[in-house]
Amino acid sequence: MSDSQLLPTGQKKINHLEMIEISKFFPGVIANNRVNFDVKAGEVHALLGENGAGKSTLMKVLYGLYPPEEGAIKLDGEQVVIGSPVDSIGLGIGMIHQHFMLVESLTVAENVALGLASTRGPLTDLDIVSQRIQELSEIYGLQVDPKALIWQLSVGQQQRVEIIKALYRGAALLILDEPTAVLTPQEVDEFFLTMRKMMDDGHALIFISHKLHEVLDISHRISVLRDGHMIGTIPVEGATKEKLAEMMVGREIGLKKERVSNEKSEKKLILKNISAQSDRGTPALKGIDLEVYSGEILGVAGVSGNGQKELAEVITGLRNVTSGQVVLEDEDVTGLSPKELINRSLSYIPEERMRDGMIKEFTVAENLILREYDQLPFANNGFLNLKNISTHSDEMIKSFNVKTPSQETTVKSLSGGNIQKLVLARELFRKPRTLIAAQPTRGLDIGAMEYVHLRLLEQREEGTATILISEDLDEILALSDRIAVIFEGEIMGIIDREEATTERLGLMMAGVVE
Amino acid sequence: MKKIQKTLAMLLLVVLMISACGGAENEATVVEVPADIFKVAVVMPSAINDLAFSQSMYDALLAIQADTGADSFEIVYSEGMFIVDDAAAAIRDYASQGFDLVIAHGSQYGSSLQEIAPDFLETSFAWGTTVDTFGLPNIFAYEARAEEGGYVNGVMATMLSESAVIGVVGPIETGDAKLYVDGFAVGAAATDAGTEVNTNWIGSFSDVALASEAAQTHIGAGADVLTGTAQMVVGAIGAAEENGALWFGTQSSQSSLAPSIVVANQVYRWEVVLEDMIDLIHGGTYGGQSFEITLANGGLVIEFNGDYALPADVQSAADATIAGIIDGSISVFP
Amino acid sequence: MIEKFFTEAVLVGIIASGIRLATPYLYASIGETFGQRSGVLNLGVEGQMLLGAFAAFYVSLTTGNLWFGLLAAMLTGLIMGLGMAFVSINLQAVQGISGIGFYLFGLGLSDLLFQKLMGTVVTVSGFRPIYFPVLSDLPIVGQIFFNHNILVYGAYAMVFVAWFVLNKTTLGLKIKAVGESPEAADSLGVSVSKIRYLTISFGGMMSGIAGASLSIALLNVFQQNMTSGLGFIAVALVYFGGWRPIAVMGGALLFSMVNSLQLWVQVLNIPIPSDFAVMMPYVLTIIALVVTVQRVRPPSALTKPFERGH
Ligand SMILES: Nc1ncnc2c1ncn2[C@@H]1O[C@H](COP(=O)(O)OP(=O)(O)OP(=O)(O)O)[C@@H](O)[C@H]1O
Ligand SMILES: [Mg+2]
Repeated sequence: MSDSQLLPTGQKKINHLEMIEISKFFPGVIANNRVNFDVKAGEVHALLGENGAGKSTLMKVLYGLYPPEEGAIKLDGEQVVIGSPVDSIGLGIGMIHQHFMLVESLTVAENVALGLASTRGPLTDLDIVSQRIQELSEIYGLQVDPKALIWQLSVGQQQRVEIIKALYRGAALLILDEPTAVLTPQEVDEFFLTMRKMMDDGHALIFISHKLHEVLDISHRISVLRDGHMIGTIPVEGATKEKLAEMMVGREIGLKKERVSNEKSEKKLILKNISAQSDRGTPALKGIDLEVYSGEILGVAGVSGNGQKELAEVITGLRNVTSGQVVLEDEDVTGLSPKELINRSLSYIPEERMRDGMIKEFTVAENLILREYDQLPFANNGFLNLKNISTHSDEMIKSFNVKTPSQETTVKSLSGGNIQKLVLARELFRKPRTLIAAQPTRGLDIGAMEYVHLRLLEQREEGTATILISEDLDEILALSDRIAVIFEGEIMGIIDREEATTERLGLMMAGVVE
Repeated sequence: MKKIQKTLAMLLLVVLMISACGGAENEATVVEVPADIFKVAVVMPSAINDLAFSQSMYDALLAIQADTGADSFEIVYSEGMFIVDDAAAAIRDYASQGFDLVIAHGSQYGSSLQEIAPDFLETSFAWGTTVDTFGLPNIFAYEARAEEGGYVNGVMATMLSESAVIGVVGPIETGDAKLYVDGFAVGAAATDAGTEVNTNWIGSFSDVALASEAAQTHIGAGADVLTGTAQMVVGAIGAAEENGALWFGTQSSQSSLAPSIVVANQVYRWEVVLEDMIDLIHGGTYGGQSFEITLANGGLVIEFNGDYALPADVQSAADATIAGIIDGSISVFP
Repeated sequence: MIEKFFTEAVLVGIIASGIRLATPYLYASIGETFGQRSGVLNLGVEGQMLLGAFAAFYVSLTTGNLWFGLLAAMLTGLIMGLGMAFVSINLQAVQGISGIGFYLFGLGLSDLLFQKLMGTVVTVSGFRPIYFPVLSDLPIVGQIFFNHNILVYGAYAMVFVAWFVLNKTTLGLKIKAVGESPEAADSLGVSVSKIRYLTISFGGMMSGIAGASLSIALLNVFQQNMTSGLGFIAVALVYFGGWRPIAVMGGALLFSMVNSLQLWVQVLNIPIPSDFAVMMPYVLTIIALVVTVQRVRPPSALTKPFERGH
């Protein structure tokens, strides 16, 4: 750690930030209950907790997005009032949100420049901003094209923009709300390099993650929240996964299910020589051939942005192919609408669940029937059967352990992980014959993740053909029967689970042909 | 807090709406009056001072009131009722308030009236311009033989046009607008077959901007004399004035708008037929007849603008034409 | 028949009058573009125009100074815009409905004031076409481009100002961000309500000028409901133009040119029923825009009130 009171960016360090006795209530929920939390310059303080424990809420209080019901914030010993992000940014606090705060129709540079004074007065200085972005991305290893439009970027790339945005503002304290949830293992390594560099420079970092090994790897101290209460803060020395898990859940978790070998029978889904374009109009898929059998999980491993999104969208009817054929249950379904594919018992768990999977203004119950709202038992002759819908929602909320005040709550006020659970509940409930799952456990706490794995394996035993798109190699290895690796829109090879190792997959993901 | 905001917002909106309606309808409140007062209500598509269709009716009612005295003749009006549903509601309202005569001044109100009138057999209704009473005993129909004044204006316009091109701006090709425009063309052709009469139907009674542009188009095509009908022609008159083209008006007197270029106006004097209707109502007949205003019965009058120096030969040709139409020696649509 | 069309006088007439007719649309729809770009739909444009038209006319008539009239129209529109901003931002009212409320308010109040203060239709001597030495006398070009009043030129200037502000300034960046993702803008310290207040009151002011361009520059009269739906067409042009000033101008010009073309069709006695002729601008504008302009997504937050934490 450097001893200077200034960061390399010229910003003053935040030596010690304390949150004291913070409480925050929402209708029907106590999200934070007299929580104490602090972070120092040059350290990474991890914040753990189940979905809905109140982590994001605590951080939004710190960033000035929510006024707390009670409590105080002290910066280097002095009490400060943070009424809005203007205040927190002014104090040197930056936040990377769990759900990106990016303007999709604007470019990277425009997103970074937004709200900042320009060197040219009222005129934008995007060229200068772009230059500085290049500098920052070189220092911290965050490659991104300043001229690209946000909506064209992969989730991982968008993440980098968020980090650059905060660094650009000279944040001395950085709140990272589940930054690694969207990154590949390699990207996580790079990201940790970035974090360590910032740490050495004297930044204070708050790190939220559901991945315990990451937390143990990078943090100095670890705090655990449960149901809005601070359970405790421990130093990383002596902490173990088991201990953290128990602090989080309050019990031991043991949902592990063994994969049983399964007779794979008929071919459910065949992709023949599929090519498709990305949103930018560049080739994203180049002659993909895949076959998925019923009762099989086919893992698709790869670094995000190599065509996974387009692959899922082509199969589910959301994107047109430029050539090739999709065959579902012996029938050519190329070019059919999503609705027609749903009727053929195809389910899709999209990667961008906040955007593609949910209607934020609708209630939990309404979102749970988004697909079958017009069918029995939820509707009859065009009338909704509210009783059945309500019973169904209660069941789903219970079995997926969704933390929500009620089924009438609108989805926008749920925690990130709980929104994921809702999408999963809806898609898996249908017992689909074919399932496309993109990053299904991203952002889930360990309990929920185990539960999803359990459900995917159960479906497999019942004969569902599943394509599991994931960057999490542990997940791929734990669930898949066969693993296909995708790189720059091409399948690098398909290997059986038994022959796959992390190293071998890692090489293929980097484009090394078998 | 949010509830309060929403309520406040709704309240504000209601206030806005009320103030808006108050402005648009300008309804006079009806006070209890002795039975010997004759009460008339009129519903009009545009403003009472539109220098055109609506004003012609309003002026007529004022003329009757000036004759009979304000204490025995009461007028209530709803103007700017270009939305037919609103007009229908107003008509029903007046009928249920016990007015002696409810005038639906606009042919677009016909079907509403046909529905409403049977519910109020003690109330007399009048609507125009049309000849159709729907066979109902309490509906009078009234119409203007606008082609007569159109013909006279056409004769004068042709004599005054040096370029031998005349422009006409009309709203929609129906009703008295069509009668006027057709009569104008016949009059022009009878005077000089070589004069070109170009007509522009702009598809709107209220689009002042398009009427102005239509007039400019005529002028661009060489016209030096213009005429037009309906309330949006104020835009056309402005354009005519700016370009020094002459103007012939109809429905109401438009001389005040551009004294230097308005030559003459065909003015509607609805009081001629209204007085007949009122007499019938007093005698117990509430409808079933149709009326028309003509040059002969004095319901149509050609009013010359005193500020415009009309050449004597044109004046005498106009006078001769008027006399010819009145005595039947000239028939506009033979 | 058709060959009559391709005479110089007709073509020049069509273009010149198209340029002139587009003026009120341009002011109103450029103002509306700013509002919608920031996420607020203002359907009260027509009402703002009517009050602006009246204010401009009445003040010009009584003071004899057209500039005072223009100023009055701007102020009137500004006040209406502030009202709309208050209702949609502070009270979070449903924007479509409150816009209609403001339309009816403007329609009613302008008529009421007209009755009470003026009583009858009169004329005022409005802004005259500007004479540019040499240029105005040029054949064809002079008639098309150098024979308009100041407000016509102002309208086109505003299109480019709007383009510049939206694309080249930090303010434009904020406006776009607020309309696309108010959460993101808010998280970077951009005040969503401040930006929206700014755009909507500016939009109101522009609608006021649009009204003035009718009452004291193009027509020089005021009449009840004289805008006759023009404000609503201006809102539609914003959608057609895909929220981009230059394309909005294209739409306005196309609409106006076809309108002046249909006037010529009738004047030249080309045998098309007048009912069809008057539909031409609407039909052709829609077809042309469907064919040529690729669909653009509306601002994501359009019509959605913003509240922090949701
Ligand atoms: N804006 C809001 N309105 C109402 N309730 C909210 C709102 N934001 C969060 N909550 C509730 O507060 C609780 C804590 O949510 P929070 O987002 O802080 O959880 P989290 O710990 O970040 O969970 P995750 O790991 O799933 O992101 C949840 O029960 C959630 O439903
Ligand atoms: Mg969270």
